[in-house]
Amino acid sequence: MLRSTRTALLAGVTSLALVLAGCSGSNDKKAGGGSTQTSGVTITVALASDAPPKAALDAFTKETGITVNWVNIDWDSLQSKISAAATAKTYFADATNVDWSRVGQLGKLGWYYPMDSYVDTKAMAADVPQLASFTVDGHVVGIPYDASFMVTTVNTELFQKAGANPAPQTIDAYTAALKAIKAKGVVQYPLNIPFAAAEGLSTYWYETTGAFGGSILDKDGKPQFTSPDSPGYKAAQWMVDALKSGLVPPGNINVTDSQGQQNLMAKGQVASTFSDYSGNVGTLYNVKKSSSVVGKVKYIRTPGASGPGANLSNPDGIGIPKQAKYPDAAAKFIEWFTATQQQADFAGVNGPEKTFPTYPIPSHLSAVKQMTAKGNLVGGEDLVPMLQGSKPVFEGGAPSWYPKFSNAVYTNLHGAATGSMSVEQAIKTIADTADQLASGS
Amino acid sequence: MTVTSSTTTPRPAESKIPAGPAPVHRSRLDLLPYLLISPVMIFIACLALVPAVFTVVQSFFKVDALDPPTRFDGFGNFVRLAKDHAVVGSIGNTALYVVIGVTLSTLIGIGAAVVLQKPFRGRSLVIAVLILPWAMPGVVEGILWTGIFDPNAGLINSVLSSLHLSDGNAVLLGQNRLLTIALIELVQVWQIAPLSVLLILAVLQLIPGELYEAAQIDGCTPWSAFTRITLPLARPGIAVTMVQAVIATLNVFDQPYVLNGAANTGASVTMQTYFISFQDLDFGQGYALSLLITIVTLLISLGVVRLVYRRVEL
Repeated sequence: MLRSTRTALLAGVTSLALVLAGCSGSNDKKAGGGSTQTSGVTITVALASDAPPKAALDAFTKETGITVNWVNIDWDSLQSKISAAATAKTYFADATNVDWSRVGQLGKLGWYYPMDSYVDTKAMAADVPQLASFTVDGHVVGIPYDASFMVTTVNTELFQKAGANPAPQTIDAYTAALKAIKAKGVVQYPLNIPFAAAEGLSTYWYETTGAFGGSILDKDGKPQFTSPDSPGYKAAQWMVDALKSGLVPPGNINVTDSQGQQNLMAKGQVASTFSDYSGNVGTLYNVKKSSSVVGKVKYIRTPGASGPGANLSNPDGIGIPKQAKYPDAAAKFIEWFTATQQQADFAGVNGPEKTFPTYPIPSHLSAVKQMTAKGNLVGGEDLVPMLQGSKPVFEGGAPSWYPKFSNAVYTNLHGAATGSMSVEQAIKTIADTADQLASGS
Repeated sequence: MTVTSSTTTPRPAESKIPAGPAPVHRSRLDLLPYLLISPVMIFIACLALVPAVFTVVQSFFKVDALDPPTRFDGFGNFVRLAKDHAVVGSIGNTALYVVIGVTLSTLIGIGAAVVLQKPFRGRSLVIAVLILPWAMPGVVEGILWTGIFDPNAGLINSVLSSLHLSDGNAVLLGQNRLLTIALIELVQVWQIAPLSVLLILAVLQLIPGELYEAAQIDGCTPWSAFTRITLPLARPGIAVTMVQAVIATLNVFDQPYVLNGAANTGASVTMQTYFISFQDLDFGQGYALSLLITIVTLLISLGVVRLVYRRVEL
């Protein structure tokens, strides 16, 4: 009896010791420390994109000794993961997406290492104009790796079938062309607007507002869209009216931006996407395995209130979270990934085997010039002037409270689309949210 | 019946235990059980109790990453939540999820368990297939059903259209609040109902066949046998089933998030907790909302147990 008790006691103490040992953690560096090791390590890179060509990554590994574990996560989920990991102070990846819209928040929170500590950003600035959108208080939060901006795309064949001008200059002419396409039965629903309550709806509205000749917020974050005569209000009304009048498929109330581009625009189900993404013609619509409209979709200058409107930029950047295990190795990767020559390779300047199929437009102007010179930029003659004239979405940069504002934008515009509220109510709620956030209450 | 037979069976181990008190060893023996369960207790304390206490305390503080420092805020978080239209709307949505989900999963659980109660050829295979949806992650199910509900090329609208019952846009997630919630909850019921079936089936397996035989001899119809034998004796299992359904539906997240995004037509209260905490970075309000969800879950679960559970001795 005594022996069995001792054995049980020993077992209990042993298991308790094991648990305590398990709870005590390892000797790893504290969160935020990271290793300075830059060779013989594996880093995780999390972007909302397919991986670059394997040969390119292999060449990087051979050159540096750094192996890259590429993780492709959809944009909305990626932003949530970044926030969740940073607030919990846990490791998620060594390099992640830094979107233009999150720069204000990330800069204020200090979740990322300043990239100017790792890369010569001053030397880069002249060739990468969108670097300014990633700078907060003199520190660069992320390095832009593309020069994405919003642009109107049209399926020229469908426009021509309806006898409509495939390059309308104004919103009115554009709307009339869409109505003609519908009236002539070329397609039942000619326009793609992604009305699902997600980020893509917000950016669509920003671009449409820009086309109507206005902006969303002023430099102090005050809403500029409350009056029914304001471009923002008109843009929201135009979008909802397009759905109600049957220009947009009714099912689009639950379609996201990428779903609309892949399942509607790339399949010839619709004739146009007013706020599409630059690069989609080359990386999606002209790709045979994912598109049935190869060679038919073109970029056009944004139809505006009284002539071509502006294109708003939404570049993607890449940065190093403070919980990265190998920040120095991640910095080496970012330097390689965003270098001019690498971007030229990704863009197909130096042969198809080096091309990164889903890569949009390079962030380095010098790489864009190489592409244009070699004729590698699909629609380059249209895109380059638009790129040079593209404007940031917010004059004063994305505010630190942008995610909450964007949530108010897409949930309320979605509500207006479904009919659960009017456009007026949606605009008022969005404006109230902006006022409240801007005032800091 | 089984109880009676087990009590008459001699237990050989008993004869080896010495009679009389053993005061010398008692104190050591009393400590032993606590020592043995201490690893589990530490795990529970680390992973459940400490975070729970932390949540309760922090819900009374202003904890906002964009508005530091952390400071005492009394009931401020709760007041702001009560004024937040998105949160109030999500409470209504969640109530509908609970009513639809608990009702459907319990009815399906009882119905399927009764069908599976008697052995038949292929019963094991049916049970194995039945469990599959429960074993799948909610996000995977959400993605799977996204294809079925797809407004432009989904199965449901395609079938309705090919049957000339609609123009292809009759069933749209997000179009109508009640329809959206019903469709989303259908997906969750598809996931949680298998566990309900298994829990109730386990209880039904304990009901002695002699009871049904005796009832049959007394002229009892199958329906009477179901209402007077099966249902009363299955109450413990039904109560457990309903409690797990209450917990699952009150905390529904994956299905509405994947199928309907952040739209107010289907957003659950757990989704709002997530948005407030990880999008707005207002953790104080997130803690407060989590605390409210926990309290409501406890109260409803206790209510279900009080109403449905009955101690049954066979």
